[in-house]
Amino acid sequence: MARIFLFGNNIDTDVIAPGGYLHLPLEAQKVHCFESIYPHFSKRAKRGDIIIAGENFGSGSSREQAPALLKEIGIVGVFAKSFSRLFFRNAINVGLFIGTYDSDSTFSDFDEVLVSFENEEIRSQNSVLHFISPSGIPKDILMAGGMINFAKKVIENEDADEDKLTG
Amino acid sequence: MIHNRRTSAEKIFSRVTGKDVKAGEFVWAKPDLVYLHDVLGPMTIEAMKRIDNGNVRFTGQIVVVNDHIFPPKDVTSSNNEKNLVEFAKNRGWIVIPWGEGIEHTLLIEKGIILPGMLVAGTDSHTVTAGAVGAMGVGLGSTDMAALISIGKLWFKVPETILVKVHGKKGKFVTGKDVVLKILSILGTNGANYKSIEVRLDKECGLSQDDSLAIANMTVEAGAKTSIIMNEAVNKVRTDIISDYRSDYEELDLGMEGMVPLIAAPYLPSNVKPVSDYEGIDVDQVYIGNCSNGTLSDMRETAKILKGNHVKAGVKLIIVPATRNIYKQALEEGLIRVFVEAGATVAPSTCGACAGLHMGVLAKDEVCITNINRNFRGRMGDSSSKVYIANSYVAAASAISGKITVPGE
Ligand code: SF4
Repeated sequence: MARIFLFGNNIDTDVIAPGGYLHLPLEAQKVHCFESIYPHFSKRAKRGDIIIAGENFGSGSSREQAPALLKEIGIVGVFAKSFSRLFFRNAINVGLFIGTYDSDSTFSDFDEVLVSFENEEIRSQNSVLHFISPSGIPKDILMAGGMINFAKKVIENEDADEDKLTG
Repeated sequence: MIHNRRTSAEKIFSRVTGKDVKAGEFVWAKPDLVYLHDVLGPMTIEAMKRIDNGNVRFTGQIVVVNDHIFPPKDVTSSNNEKNLVEFAKNRGWIVIPWGEGIEHTLLIEKGIILPGMLVAGTDSHTVTAGAVGAMGVGLGSTDMAALISIGKLWFKVPETILVKVHGKKGKFVTGKDVVLKILSILGTNGANYKSIEVRLDKECGLSQDDSLAIANMTVEAGAKTSIIMNEAVNKVRTDIISDYRSDYEELDLGMEGMVPLIAAPYLPSNVKPVSDYEGIDVDQVYIGNCSNGTLSDMRETAKILKGNHVKAGVKLIIVPATRNIYKQALEEGLIRVFVEAGATVAPSTCGACAGLHMGVLAKDEVCITNINRNFRGRMGDSSSKVYIANSYVAAASAISGKITVPGE
């Protein structure tokens, strides 16, 4: 069972990963995640929990610390009506699942739910939310577990192609 | 099939991919230039090590700028910067000398970013490159690591929003007000994944520095990139801008009657006339950053500060964005005006702009500034508040200690 943490619109990267701690290791930054709007988030969230938010989640900076911190804390998926471009890319790259939805969420904070990535739905006892998973290249990157593994594969394949051409 | 009416994004992505690509398409592209800074740079090299032992397949220019926390504020940031420089030097990358300035303003000033280039940086304000007709795209650190390790990266060719600005600008109105107005219309995600192309009529009377301020903040509407065609300065080659098509999303903006604007906490799109917030007490005034630390901003600030003094109890911090701007401000006697007015002139760094160092806000403090973001906790304590306006407004507020409409 996952628990839901609800957030509103325009949750920006300064709120997720405040500037003053960016130069520190993720472990040390964790406690500051969401501190301006949700103190002690990193202690309250447990491994396996999810975030459901509104429009434009992750707006602002290119700091990859934002999705990386959420992943570090144990969040397994962020679901929003829309994501800012950089957060979208960064989340995929660090292997944090993100999904979009367009109906209204009827969940409450801390609802216990089951998330089915296969069926693209989040289900509680009396409510269900359908979401859309990333597709195309972003999906391939997620399936590889993030950009590090994906890039390794691309390089392997290209080197193999070159060997074919020169060999 | 070659379609002859193309957007600037289609032109630039077609050139770098060698294919005829259209908006909406996914492509693998090799930018002409990439750059890294001292906050995401160290993470980039860590990711490069994990991908392919730090090997480089990217054949374009790679530039490193230590600007975010410079001079280093503590041992961790100092070590980060040292390691980044060593890694870069070992690979023959271009390392910008210490303290030269804030990357987005600096690389344009140095002529490293040139019209028509596709440029990627580990920073959302890479969009600033649009001021000279280059396509600047922000990336996170793992994306950058993948790009440098593989030699190319996937991109989606963005759709275009065309903004046409016309009419003569009024007194104390600058490019900052133009972009704040655009943000108030588009909202913080109205241009998500898109390219904002701005055409500034000659009669607007806006400068190249105004173009820079506009390009810089297009990302606050979610834009992936921007191109600013300012007819008064003509820096941008006409073959780079989008060909006329009737299917662009278009926005029309008249400058007649436009007054200085302000973005109130906590969104850059939360824009009203400055007069709506007149009289709010401020603790700090910050003039600087990659959007508005230009020589024009230094001149505008000096114009207001000359012969005046900062209100007792107010901190005024002024940061010329680059060493060269600093030098010119010195030569023009602007720095003297600042110092005599009671300002602290800080070295060219991101510093307080992102709450990193050198001007971090305390509990409940209010700051008026010409930077680009006013998110909760952006410049320090999460209870502090940041108002964004142009340099005239910020400087006038420093004198009165309250948010002030300049000239009143
Ligand atoms: S000056 Fe501010 S907005 Fe610009 S790059 Fe530095 S931290 Fe980012």
